Amino acid sequence: MEDQLARRLVQGLKDAGINFVTYLPETRLSQIIPLIQDDPAMELIPTASEQEAVTIAAGATLGGKQAAVYMENTGIYVSSYSLLTVGKQLGVPILLVAGYLGGVPDQRNSFLYATIGSHTIPTLNGLGIEYMVLEEGERLEERIKDAVRAANALRGPFALLFAGEFSV
Amino acid sequence: MIRHECLELLAGKITDQLVVTSQSGQRIEWSYLSRHEGNLLVGMMGCAVGIGTGLALALPHRKVIVLDSDGSVLLSLFNLATLGNLRPKNLIVFVFDNGVYSGSRISYPTATAGNTDLEAIARGAGIEKTLTIRDIETFKRKALGALKQNELAFFVCKVKESLMHREIPRPNTDLAENKYTFVRYLERSEGKPIRFIGRG
Repeated sequence: MEDQLARRLVQGLKDAGINFVTYLPETRLSQIIPLIQDDPAMELIPTASEQEAVTIAAGATLGGKQAAVYMENTGIYVSSYSLLTVGKQLGVPILLVAGYLGGVPDQRNSFLYATIGSHTIPTLNGLGIEYMVLEEGERLEERIKDAVRAANALRGPFALLFAGEFSV
Repeated sequence: MIRHECLELLAGKITDQLVVTSQSGQRIEWSYLSRHEGNLLVGMMGCAVGIGTGLALALPHRKVIVLDSDGSVLLSLFNLATLGNLRPKNLIVFVFDNGVYSGSRISYPTATAGNTDLEAIARGAGIEKTLTIRDIETFKRKALGALKQNELAFFVCKVKESLMHREIPRPNTDLAENKYTFVRYLERSEGKPIRFIGRG
């Protein structure tokens, strides 16, 4: 991902009200981590598992923050239990910012990732989690705002899957 | 020592602390002993420490108490490594460790009935204040005393298995109702709106 796109992504999160980000880093979007870390308006929390990235973000949301979880799409599998129980059952808005490894538009797709990618959207559908796939920077900021608004309205997780020029 | 007597003592000390319970007998016992609006009765295992951590980070001026079980903590041991590095000063975790999967109704042993030592795991994960408590006097002195301190604490309370939670009424508030009561209480006590509630 070009640096300019990473900066727009982070600014877009901030403009959408995100002020608390839990994460487990991955390869496609990792440039956003130092940018978030350097921004005093956003709290960045490292975690050891996407399962707890979701539960910590949920706790922060209940405490008044607007939280996002940054993860690889494999983290959706790891955290599916907490996404279902805390996210959906308890009803807590959480924005998922996920690198879409192995998805068709993933520019670095290979035999290592394709199986992982092909199950991501069926898994989100199975969990009842709405999502958008972002492949280019056009209207990026508006789409992030749309996603946060949707998560809050739904009282649940909403996933942004990043591929295309975000995965270069 | 049984869990109910510990919780009864703790309930008497609650003022404006936020209390998060995981899914086990203590959720039922705590909801029976405490009608505090700052109770979040989480209805699933392995999630309470994470939710409590998020609350503690979002509200660093509020004391957050997590009531958890050995089975639940074993399900999410990665929480300890994260806590050992974040060290939120306003968080206390009580693990009521009865050494069995009591909720399964066959009470088969958990790992803590064997060789696993949760206090040692927590300390190794970087949590400095951690203690195994085996009697009610130590619980009164050390665990309740920690409520007045400003330091992350992790107490493993070794309790006998008790089935008291099957003899008292189960909470009749559903998860969403409890969540909104909790969030509205936070709005009032913090004097600010919780963002996701919004307006229809």
